[in-house]
Amino acid sequence: MSGTPERQAQEERLRAVWQNPTGWRYWTSVNNTQVGLWYGGAAFAFMLFAGVLALIMRAQLAFPDNDLISADLYNQAFTLHGTVMMFLFAVPIFEAIAIFLLPPMLGARELPFPRLGAFGFWSFLLGGVFVCGSIFFNAAPSSGWFMYPPLATDEELSGIGADIWLLGLSFIEVASIAAAVEIIVGIMKCRAPGMRINLMPLFAWYLLIVAGMILFAFPPLIAGDLLFELQRMFDWPFFDAARGGDPLLWQHLFWIFGHPEVYIIFLPAIALMAMIVPTFAQRPIVGYSWIVLAAVGTGFLSFGLWVHHMFTTGLPQISLAFFSAASEAVAIPTGVQIFVFIATMLAGRVIFSTPMLFGTGGIAIFVIGGLTGVMVALAPFDWQAHDSYFVVAHLHYVLIGGMLFPVIAGLYYYYPLIDAQHLSDRLGRIAFWLMFVGFNVAFFPMHLAGLRGMPRRVFTYPSETGWDWLNLISSIGAYIFAAGLLVVIFDVLRPKHRHTGGELNPWNAGTLEWISEPKENWGVRSIPRITSRYPLWEQPTLLRDVAEGRGYLADAPEGQREGLVTSVLDAEPVQVLRVGGTSGVTIVSAVTLGAVFVALTFKWWLVTAVAAIASLCAVLYWLWTGTNVIPEAEEKDVGHGLMLPLHASGSASVGWWAMFITMVGDATAFASLIFGYFFYWTIHADFTAGQAGPGMAWPLIAAALFGGAWAATLIARTLNAGERKAPMRACLGVSALLALAASAAALAGPWQHGMDPASHVYPAIVWLLVLWVVAHAAVGVVMHLYCLARSFAGRLSALYDMDLRNSALYWHFVLIQAVLTFLVIGLFPEAG
Amino acid sequence: MAVAARPPPGIQPAGLACLTLAGCSGNQSALDAAGQEAASIAQLFWVMTTGGAIVWLLVVALLLYAARSRSHSEAAASRLILWGGAVLPSAVVVGLLAYALWLMPALRPFGAAAASGLRIEVTGSQYWWRVVYRSPDGVTVTSANEIRLPVGQRVELSLASNDVIHSFWIPSLGGKMDMIPGRTNRLSLQATKPGTYRGPCAEYCGTSHALMALQAVALPPEAFDRWLAAQAKPSPAVAASGAELFRRHGCGACHAIAGTEAKGVLGPDLSHFGSRLTLAAGILPNTTDNIERFIADPDRIKPGVKMPAFGMLPREDIRVLASWLRRLE
Amino acid sequence: MRFIPKPIETLWTLFTAPVVWAAHFLFCYGIAAVYCAKQDQIGISFAAVRIGIAGATVVALVLIAASAWLAWRQWGFGAHDPPHDDPTRHDRLLFQGFATLLLSGLCFVAVIMVALPAWFVTECVR
Repeated sequence: MSGTPERQAQEERLRAVWQNPTGWRYWTSVNNTQVGLWYGGAAFAFMLFAGVLALIMRAQLAFPDNDLISADLYNQAFTLHGTVMMFLFAVPIFEAIAIFLLPPMLGARELPFPRLGAFGFWSFLLGGVFVCGSIFFNAAPSSGWFMYPPLATDEELSGIGADIWLLGLSFIEVASIAAAVEIIVGIMKCRAPGMRINLMPLFAWYLLIVAGMILFAFPPLIAGDLLFELQRMFDWPFFDAARGGDPLLWQHLFWIFGHPEVYIIFLPAIALMAMIVPTFAQRPIVGYSWIVLAAVGTGFLSFGLWVHHMFTTGLPQISLAFFSAASEAVAIPTGVQIFVFIATMLAGRVIFSTPMLFGTGGIAIFVIGGLTGVMVALAPFDWQAHDSYFVVAHLHYVLIGGMLFPVIAGLYYYYPLIDAQHLSDRLGRIAFWLMFVGFNVAFFPMHLAGLRGMPRRVFTYPSETGWDWLNLISSIGAYIFAAGLLVVIFDVLRPKHRHTGGELNPWNAGTLEWISEPKENWGVRSIPRITSRYPLWEQPTLLRDVAEGRGYLADAPEGQREGLVTSVLDAEPVQVLRVGGTSGVTIVSAVTLGAVFVALTFKWWLVTAVAAIASLCAVLYWLWTGTNVIPEAEEKDVGHGLMLPLHASGSASVGWWAMFITMVGDATAFASLIFGYFFYWTIHADFTAGQAGPGMAWPLIAAALFGGAWAATLIARTLNAGERKAPMRACLGVSALLALAASAAALAGPWQHGMDPASHVYPAIVWLLVLWVVAHAAVGVVMHLYCLARSFAGRLSALYDMDLRNSALYWHFVLIQAVLTFLVIGLFPEAG
Repeated sequence: MAVAARPPPGIQPAGLACLTLAGCSGNQSALDAAGQEAASIAQLFWVMTTGGAIVWLLVVALLLYAARSRSHSEAAASRLILWGGAVLPSAVVVGLLAYALWLMPALRPFGAAAASGLRIEVTGSQYWWRVVYRSPDGVTVTSANEIRLPVGQRVELSLASNDVIHSFWIPSLGGKMDMIPGRTNRLSLQATKPGTYRGPCAEYCGTSHALMALQAVALPPEAFDRWLAAQAKPSPAVAASGAELFRRHGCGACHAIAGTEAKGVLGPDLSHFGSRLTLAAGILPNTTDNIERFIADPDRIKPGVKMPAFGMLPREDIRVLASWLRRLE
Repeated sequence: MRFIPKPIETLWTLFTAPVVWAAHFLFCYGIAAVYCAKQDQIGISFAAVRIGIAGATVVALVLIAASAWLAWRQWGFGAHDPPHDDPTRHDRLLFQGFATLLLSGLCFVAVIMVALPAWFVTECVR
């Protein structure tokens, strides 16, 4: 291996490639460490904001018949409290932790799409500020965080707050899906060589499952938001019973998202515990496979629970019973996880540090929440407990014990990775006891208040109900709890004496993230080969080898940010991945897209259109300049004599995976709309209400034309593989024209039959399905034009055909959705 | 037993006097069961709570022991996961599920109400309840914000809403059921003890959701029948001096009073307003003073209420109206 | 032709049992929900629905048992103990087998639990 001067030169080059911009341009950084920290900081700030709202509410409820704040302000406060905690803290904080931790933990330099990560962050920040800021203009949403129609669809009763909620959060949901794509591809394809799936850190296992859950959980909510906003903006009566709609459809769509969401929040926090417990038990985890069982099992079962939020809506008892059953079943994998930690502690020698204190304290709290969860999952008990303070207590035991305490444990544990300093052990213990005691004092009495008939979301209560002293105790506890959190914040923000001098791995942990040097931006100095679950314990030379550049990709001679792509199961290196560096285009894209949502809220149509075009241009510029860049050579030496290609396309490329995953989410949203169609069919004897349908002819013609557009795309792909440029371009053109014709035919059906979407839910859902497909076709046409432009610019060839292959993949999904849509709307009314 | 329409004594507000954890906790407690469903569910609750407490103590004890003990073998630890984490919880939740599933159909036996035949239709509005009694002999009585039901007989409630989602819940009698626009839900209740029980609206329904409640009065069957018969006729006091004011100020546009020309349906029916225990949907005691305050400025008492303020009327008119309404028993 | 497939080297076998659980769950929920909503228009009795659920349950349990058996075989019929953390293809396969076996066990119990309602609830009441 080379001597010191050469190593220094390598380090200089690497440092230059990965360094952050300075001055205001710092904010254009896309590095995972920066984005992760910003993300986490913003999420924490939102959490504090929502916490202050909670303290105001507790002050109001401390005494009966209190008039500290008005009913309306209280209603805005609890709506924002729930919304912010769920959408702006609980989910984003895990995205932040994942973006920050995953690359070093997997021995990667970066996640595969750093700019997408930065874009997600900026979208989240803008959407979050928009939603939170509304309360200062007395315009915050006030219909509760699950926004039940008709209360939330009524313009008079909910005002602009509901639009702010819908559009602001839709924007953030898009960011969550972006994060999910990033995390799935990162974990599956970007692990260090040798990190087989049986050696993967448990954190990565959990996050893989969680990201998968996001992919299936968020799209139903996005579909619901779409229905909701169409009703609010254009009076399409999806939830209006008078015109055939049904408020319950929203509840279904919301909770299909809402219950998995609880586990999307809980699993990453448990994932942190799965990293912390082995370190302080000083041994590998006992029951690695059991954790995988639990994570996968929970991931699946959590999708069969949603109706337990609807036990009192009058659904048939048999339906309630199915969901009771699944809700009980999910307790099993949850129990397994707790026992894995107990078993690991039993088999090891536990050092009871501050992170362990928060971790085990969190478990003690969470178990109570889990047990009350088992109780409310039984429909009969839920008939009493539902929407009462019992449920308020239950959900806070679950979320604070199962999420906030582990996250604070993670903060104490991982803080040295942020700036090479420790948080104070003494302050940590003080904070823990304040929080632990305060929490239980605040929330335990709520169980009793609920059983004594106190409904949730009340801004006041009469004194004769016997709730007053329970509420007073709760309020006192809430302030003790807040004091504990303040101690944590003080500990993080206080200036720290630099006496430890930035030692690596201060807890003597075994996992790879501890090789990350807080002072360096390159992630890892060189990429090691992994042969163990706990490489820092079991690979004694690893730390030195990495630091001395004896791993892969120890240099950056071409001035590019590079990482390795490895195979899914055995993590054999297959490709060098060049990722995007510092760029302002992510901010521009996020700001313009944000402007679209803000303008829609206020119904400024012209601004909406301008912002949408600007946003499209920004994204196209981003794609054109930053993706599928043709490398200077086909292969490069990554070290140890290994030559790897610099490019891949089709299913071997990370871009193809990202497209596939995104489209799975898209298909889930589509499936939710189809569910809506059939839902309306089930609730009505004649769901068309005697109205004309789109007929059979036009839908079938549209389906056939979409088939043609799809086929032409595939032919273009084949022609391109044979370097036959002219016919390929012609095929792309034909496909685009067919797509336009198909869209026209699709619209002709409902148009010609005079279907008025505001008159009844049947024409509304038909129009929506048609418009959904047409919008997809429009995106598909843009893709064709983009490929054509790439071809004319000489950036599309038989070898470098990623753009075309991804378009073709996209068109597979469009075809499925188009055919299903037109068969359903064209044929089903005839059959039914 | 001759119990009048007044609530039996002893069901007074529990308040601070009552510091024990269970039982004895006001007239709105799910644990103080006065109905069949509430009793079964309270029993289910106690079974689960006892079991849950034992589980929690075991887990925490194990956690503390694991944190302090010397290392055990990995094999022993793995066995703990299998038996403690998987097998035991599976057995417990399957057992619990079977218990609840067995309980469920028995709790709400629809169709059994045919025995007594009384049906009560309750319709939620922001922020009050319309109540219509339909007895099997064809008597229909309209009232608001209070339901009365005969002890020992199963009553079927049919629940609807005409604006947003509300939820009907009388914790002492049984679980809740939502009132959803466009749907009619059914609930079946059987009171077991005479008394007055309070029920809040349990689904958030807008600004004054917290100020929407009702009273449920369980009466012995004979007393109930007498009461219903009296309600079916106009109140004896209906012809008194307030009637003219009621007409002149246009109150009848929204409210109906049997025996007068007031037939409004937007607001609560006031035919026997004086016999109700509370005013403004369970919020204030039904006194003349409170009625006056409500007529003068309802939004102050109940933000967002649909009724306009009548503070511009002469004070004397309001007073006469209030005392007349109070006498409409 | 082999009747029993060779051990398949993919991540997706892990998800077999949960997917079966999900399909069974959706079937049970869907058929009951549609039946209860449309019972006036459908000529069959609720007993038929319950029999359908029972049939689906048997099929699901058989599929999960098959997945468990394949996983058990991949795990070497229990000849090797966890933790399966060697950096070899063999250990990786053992790990997959063991994890799949555990998941099949969970899903087996979960399918039975989801089928229980059809046993206890005998009418389409709300």
